[in-house]
Amino acid sequence: MTDVSCQTGVELLMDYLEGVVPDDVRTSLESHVSGCSKCSAFVASYLATPRILRDATAAAMPPELQRSLRAFLRAQRGDDPQ
Amino acid sequence: MASPEDATDEALASRAALGDTGAFDEITIRHQARVYRLACRLVGHDDAPDVVQEGFLSVYLNLASFRQESRFGTWLYRIVTNAALMHRRARTRRPVESLEPFLPEFDAMGRHCQTPAELQVPARADELLDRRELVDAAMAALERLPDLYRSAFVLRDLEELTTAEVADVLGIEAATVRQRVHRARLMLRGYLAALAGAKS
Repeated sequence: MTDVSCQTGVELLMDYLEGVVPDDVRTSLESHVSGCSKCSAFVASYLATPRILRDATAAAMPPELQRSLRAFLRAQRGDDPQ
Repeated sequence: MASPEDATDEALASRAALGDTGAFDEITIRHQARVYRLACRLVGHDDAPDVVQEGFLSVYLNLASFRQESRFGTWLYRIVTNAALMHRRARTRRPVESLEPFLPEFDAMGRHCQTPAELQVPARADELLDRRELVDAAMAALERLPDLYRSAFVLRDLEELTTAEVADVLGIEAATVRQRVHRARLMLRGYLAALAGAKS
């Protein structure tokens, strides 16, 4: 595999990052991205996407929900209320 | 016998299956924050409390079926993910717009249609958007993913399980996990580009 287009590179990006593409494909992808400013920018934003969404959706459990969960589970088990 | 705080998850599960309520309480305390966060990501903040309750109740009722050959954490993720999917199917939800229009675009030669600066924009979404706006947009974007993609993306990229662990939780091949996560990343990346691009 020698000529890689941006589109082919995008299609193979996840497999490349997970190390499951053949060596010749990996070499072709790295060669393309290193010489393509568009793909370099695309890869940077592709890699940033999970981090940005992870940070933005990391909800903390409210204390009142912790209490109600404990009460719910004890009721389901038939424990004496405390 | 180790105190509940010192025991492994697997040891606690064994003790809880034999009726040790203290062991089950410790399991709940140890994992409730993670389960809540996962539920929020899978069904949204409003429905997450129901899924957390349903998930832990299901854990309690199925402790006897927990097989020690898999990690307790993986088993817990499977139960909560299934509870979330069942919850979503039971609820009538408003139709949401697909994220397909946010997939990357290429010209006839397979080259990116956008400039490098435009392609870079999503990486700066957390700088360009205020926190509240980004949180709301991120939750709305997860809601707009198809169920199959959402589960794989949330488990792999947001909960940071390995691809093999996600495959185990969802009962699918690793290659299918990669395909679904990749597709979700592409759509979400494009969605962030549209949001952040309007601010840049």
